[in-house]
Amino acid sequence: MSRILLGISFGLMMAALYLVFIYVPTEETMGVVQRIFYFHVPVAWVSFLAFFVVFIGSILFLWKRDEKWDMLARSSAEIGIVFTSLVLITGPIWAKPAWGVWWTWDARLTTTLIMWVIYVSYLMVRSFAVEESRGARFAAVVGIVGFVDIPITAIAITLWRTQHPRPVIFEGGLAPSMLLTLIICVAAFTLLYVYLLLQAISLKQAEADLGKISQALRG
Amino acid sequence: MRLPLRKAFVIAWKDILSESRTRDILSSVAVFALLTIVIFNFAFEPGSDNVELVAPGVLWVTFTFAGVLGLGRSFVFEKEKGCLEGLLLCPVDRDVVYLGKMLGSLAFMLAVEIIVVPIFLVLFDLPLFLPQLALITLLATVGFVSVGTLFSALAVNTRARDVMLPILFFPIVAPVIIAAVQASGLALEGQSWSTMSSWLQIMGVFDAIFIVISALVFEFVVEE
Amino acid sequence: MENSGYFFAAFAIVWAVLFAYVVLLVRRQVRLKQEIEALKGMLKEKSLLDQRYNS
Repeated sequence: MSRILLGISFGLMMAALYLVFIYVPTEETMGVVQRIFYFHVPVAWVSFLAFFVVFIGSILFLWKRDEKWDMLARSSAEIGIVFTSLVLITGPIWAKPAWGVWWTWDARLTTTLIMWVIYVSYLMVRSFAVEESRGARFAAVVGIVGFVDIPITAIAITLWRTQHPRPVIFEGGLAPSMLLTLIICVAAFTLLYVYLLLQAISLKQAEADLGKISQALRG
Repeated sequence: MRLPLRKAFVIAWKDILSESRTRDILSSVAVFALLTIVIFNFAFEPGSDNVELVAPGVLWVTFTFAGVLGLGRSFVFEKEKGCLEGLLLCPVDRDVVYLGKMLGSLAFMLAVEIIVVPIFLVLFDLPLFLPQLALITLLATVGFVSVGTLFSALAVNTRARDVMLPILFFPIVAPVIIAAVQASGLALEGQSWSTMSSWLQIMGVFDAIFIVISALVFEFVVEE
Repeated sequence: MENSGYFFAAFAIVWAVLFAYVVLLVRRQVRLKQEIEALKGMLKEKSLLDQRYNS
């Protein structure tokens, strides 16, 4: 099953690369740099998707008390933090040539920054807890509270930013070729996320099983 | 009065009583807040225009830090004396315990604010009696305390408890801080209620949502 | 192509970070396999010991 996933994901990635580098026309105002958009947006979308999965996994873990939900949440958090970091890196790299500044406290990037910190606190709470089982529960609480906080934060930051001048991200709509490229890239990165998620979960499950076996053997 | 609500008030009253006897956490947090405001002033040029712009920010950053300090102190004390375990042995619903602790912390923070805000207004030469500011402070403090109570109960059970609480607390209350600063700015300029209505709404929604959620998940934080 | 340096940087970083994460997963898998081998060894020793006691 995961082989098929890997295959499709790889195929989509290749298609995406072609579309982004060769097929799609260059945008007039920003030039070549604008193509970063085709990585930046899908990666941002996946980072929010991953956080949503953390949220669902956390709720299910606290409700059903089954370890596998905790593994889902934790794996999604790890991958989510990777993707969120990529958003925060590609954003400024795009912003600097496009608008002349690295960071503008733009609503979306700022909300992503807050989300990044919440992800980090999710993982920190695990390692700083006194026992592992409690750590998992604490993390689930953070996963739930954190996710609910994001929409409110986004609204507050957007309202805050409309009171100060800010650079405009896009004038007008997307040409169809751009839309196609964007969609393929979103699909490619989403499948990559799913594949990485499945790998991370099975790895954690194997580690957990191994832990139990070695305990039984030594005890 | 409904029984669970009454139990919550009993729990809150116990906290209020024990704090009012010694008043040491209250005084130390209030002094900390005042010192923070003073130090902030060293960061800016003294005199007119700038002051009005930065005043709301100074006020709310100060209360954020002071709030974290106060919230942290109260739960550490409980853990050390074993009070929390004793409380949990009682046949009380966990969300009622949460509500009680939250109301106690709310009372504590409001006490600090009643002392600090007037002094702040004097130091910055701002108008003294502003009902808008009072409401903003109330809404924001409820927001702080709703999430703060949950997280300080959590942080107290971790290894680096003093640093864990701010790390959890700050990002989550970001919308409250933004709203409070913006609304306070408008209030100090003497604007009407309608200009700040959206900020007040954000804080109100935040408070409602997070009191409910914190009450629901509190039991998972305190169970052994 | 002006600014293509930035474009390259963004793309390279995305690729590098994702690659690093995959390497992390692979490393953990290798460690897992090593532990399995160690446990297999322990199991063999244990069954040999049992044999010696029982026979």
